[in-house]
Amino acid sequence: MKWPWAGRWRRWQALRTPAAPRVELNQRRIFIFPNRSGAGFFVLLLLIFLAAINYQNSMAYALVFLLGSLFTVAILQTYRNLASLVVSSTGAVPVFVGEHALLTVRLESTGREHQAIGLGWSGAALVSVDVTAHHVEQVQLSLPTLTRGWLQVPRVRVQSHFPLGMLTAWTWLDLAQRVRVYPQPLPGPMPRSAGTASEPDAALQRQPGQGVDDFQGLKLYQPGDSWRRLNWKAFSRGEALLIKDFADLRSEPLCLDFLALGGDVEQRLSRLCHWVLKLSRQQRPFMLRLPGVQLDFASGDIHRLACLRALALHGHRR
Amino acid sequence: MNATTAIPRVSLGWLLLAQALVLIPLWFHLPLWMCGLWLFCTVWRVQILRMRAAYPGRLLKVLLMVATAVGVYASQGSLIGLDATAALLVSAFLLKLLEMRSQRDARVLIYLGFFCIAVAYLFDAGLPWALYSLLPISTLAAALIGLQQTRLIARPQATFKLAATLLAQALPLMIVLFLFFPRLQPLWSLPLSSGQQAISGIEDSMTPADVTELARSTAVAFRASFDDGQMPPKRALYWRALSLDRYDGRTWTQSLAVQGQPVPAWQPQGPALRYRVLQAASGKPWLFALDTARSDQADVRQLSDFRLQRQRPVDQPLMYTLTSWPQALREPQLSEWARRAALQLGPSDPRSRAWGEQLKARFSEPQAVVAEVLQQFRTQPFHYTLTPVALGADSIDGFLFDSRRGFCAHYAGALTYVLRAAGIPARMVVGYQGGEVNQAGDTVTVRQFEAHAWVEFWQPARGWQSVDPTAAVAPERVEQGLEQALSADEPFLADSPFSPLRYRHLAWLNGLRLSWDEANYAWQRWVLGYQGQEQSNFLAHWFKGFESAMLPLSIVLVMALASLGVLRPWRHRPDPDLRALALFEKLLQRHGLQRGPAEPSLAFAERAARRLPAQAATIKAFAQAFNARHYAGDAQAGALMSVHLKQLRRQLRAVPKPTVQE
Repeated sequence: MKWPWAGRWRRWQALRTPAAPRVELNQRRIFIFPNRSGAGFFVLLLLIFLAAINYQNSMAYALVFLLGSLFTVAILQTYRNLASLVVSSTGAVPVFVGEHALLTVRLESTGREHQAIGLGWSGAALVSVDVTAHHVEQVQLSLPTLTRGWLQVPRVRVQSHFPLGMLTAWTWLDLAQRVRVYPQPLPGPMPRSAGTASEPDAALQRQPGQGVDDFQGLKLYQPGDSWRRLNWKAFSRGEALLIKDFADLRSEPLCLDFLALGGDVEQRLSRLCHWVLKLSRQQRPFMLRLPGVQLDFASGDIHRLACLRALALHGHRR
Repeated sequence: MNATTAIPRVSLGWLLLAQALVLIPLWFHLPLWMCGLWLFCTVWRVQILRMRAAYPGRLLKVLLMVATAVGVYASQGSLIGLDATAALLVSAFLLKLLEMRSQRDARVLIYLGFFCIAVAYLFDAGLPWALYSLLPISTLAAALIGLQQTRLIARPQATFKLAATLLAQALPLMIVLFLFFPRLQPLWSLPLSSGQQAISGIEDSMTPADVTELARSTAVAFRASFDDGQMPPKRALYWRALSLDRYDGRTWTQSLAVQGQPVPAWQPQGPALRYRVLQAASGKPWLFALDTARSDQADVRQLSDFRLQRQRPVDQPLMYTLTSWPQALREPQLSEWARRAALQLGPSDPRSRAWGEQLKARFSEPQAVVAEVLQQFRTQPFHYTLTPVALGADSIDGFLFDSRRGFCAHYAGALTYVLRAAGIPARMVVGYQGGEVNQAGDTVTVRQFEAHAWVEFWQPARGWQSVDPTAAVAPERVEQGLEQALSADEPFLADSPFSPLRYRHLAWLNGLRLSWDEANYAWQRWVLGYQGQEQSNFLAHWFKGFESAMLPLSIVLVMALASLGVLRPWRHRPDPDLRALALFEKLLQRHGLQRGPAEPSLAFAERAARRLPAQAATIKAFAQAFNARHYAGDAQAGALMSVHLKQLRRQLRAVPKPTVQE
């Protein structure tokens, strides 16, 4: 909405339909207004009315009155089709940046049939469902994710034109849902440092960066690689940006460390994410160290989810 | 808005059916070839649905449109006027079918259908078609509903049933609007007929052949209802349309002077008759009245031959109230132009003229001349028949002296001619005689076959007098009707073997027909005639003093009732437990506590208790009572819930609300 009162409108809307995970639609929330077809219908009524006046034809008058009354009945019926419908959401499964979050919305009939209910986001195509009496329908709405962290689910539009299509009854519901969005996995060398917390020889000097024991060769620079191992000489000769690659010979416990990476925070988190997924897939135990957070040496699904959660919420309020 | 989505199959089915139904009443007024166009478009659209044909291209569409417009022009003779406009509208209605892809197109088609129904009313809004039109209206509504339905296996009957329900719910408001909505005067005048379709009836010129034509038609010309017990006997019902005073040897016409002359003096005498006439569309401006009539309508005036004429032709059913004085003295002093007009004679028919001059010499009184001619009709072998032999030139001579077979027009024409030859001012009057009286005896229905011609002659001081020569030859015609006047070998309504009027001798059939006529008349009078003056009379009679308040009052009342009927607020009673829980949550919400989407009520209560330690006991007690009631079905816990809830509310009133929310 780009019009000048958009902010005021949103505040009024928030006041009128406060956020709630489970909402029964009623007169406080449902708005109803004639749409374009309704406007066309009024043009039709006007034309028949003109014919009735000019030809002094009682039946044409009667037709205008019948259709006009039909329209008023349609106001009630369109409202009724939406009223007493219970909309709730059970939330959405966390996703990685770039994927689509699927929000599950439940439509529950409290006694009557609700036909052709449209559900969707503002400006997007609506999904249409019928809810039979005393039944529940589930609809999944997909939401693109662009940034890591909490994704606040926007207001869901619930609308209906049924039965005559001349009126739109709608509501905007804030279902009080948020989706956790994990960083997008970014492949690259493992950002490891020596584990300290869970090892007895914690006094060992912490080795920054990746393995430093054995020089393996040169690799193309990837975002997230430590700048300290950049091959500046080659770069200054006009060659590609290369990085010195060292293999890690020590069989020390794996510790994925935020500080072992250079560059942008998001890129670092993405790289960590990649390794969390990869190590979990290989069922290798590891620990994750983020500024202010440290997840202990472990493996398994619970550990993986805890790590992903920590990555997603890094720098966010929990 | 999903206006561009495809049309559901159910809706398309209803739409095609609705189109067929909408068009049925219009086929009586449209050129026949459009029927072919309809079949063509429907078959094509069905083939598109079955994926066996494609939509027409742009060039083809333009060609079809142009061809149809040319066809309409060719068959209707113009592109204006109601007939041609209706034909153009219907062709748009048909051709739109071929470019109907999206829901928006379908909606346009449905709206066009509603407009076509209104146009059909302009042609014929009688009871049968009005009742019939409920069918296409509900089918169009069903198509409209079908457009919204997303269900794949929608049952067509359910859609129609919903449409019928909606219309039934709309009916009370419609009746209120019909009764109380003020009718407006026409904004501009529209020609109803393009003049192509002549309505048969009384014309302003007459040859005997015209009357033969009318004698075959059973169409209702008008109905008249009299105040209680006032209806004159049938033989006295001479309904004047107009008078014809020029004769050119073949045809009786009216002189143009009639229109311009002032209304001659006449005085109401004797008892007055008050009656209401409901006239069918005649396409002519004159009304039908018993002599001598007066109308209080503003656009009706009396002309110099005592006829009543309206400013505009009667091109749709018209209702008017008249007062007649049968014994009125009309024009005791004849003006010079009127005398000349009433004595004008052509050069034809020498034998008749000679007879007239002979009569003039024999009798001094005009009354005696008339009596003598009628005596001749009665005594000489004159015969009443609708199938006379063809008469050549000098037709009056041929009729009076040779064939002596004919009907009203022959007798009236001959009498007028002879009276003029005898120096008596005379003219022919055309209109209707008699009519069919209903069972209650207060309404008479006059049909086209009751068209009649009679004679008026003028006498000094006594003015114009009517005389019917047909009554002298065939008194049954006047006493009973045309059917009785015709001899056994000349069948009544020979061209329409199935007309119920032919079977009047079958009592049950006749009773049925008369009841149907009554219903039609009541429809015409009370529904179609509910306009302007009628409406104000009705409102003044029933709602005296509140006429202007009735519309808003009744709309509010009906809308309130409709809202209750449709929404049924008493039906929707949420579970009392859940309502109590909602109240509980609302109370805590004011203090910054919000139950999570999947948080169990007990866990929420724990959390709340931690936040509000002073009320912890009540909070937990309520949550336990709720769980016991809602999940374990403990009946006594219900009472506990409300006790705890009340207590909590009291306790929380003392607690200041937090300024910052969680």
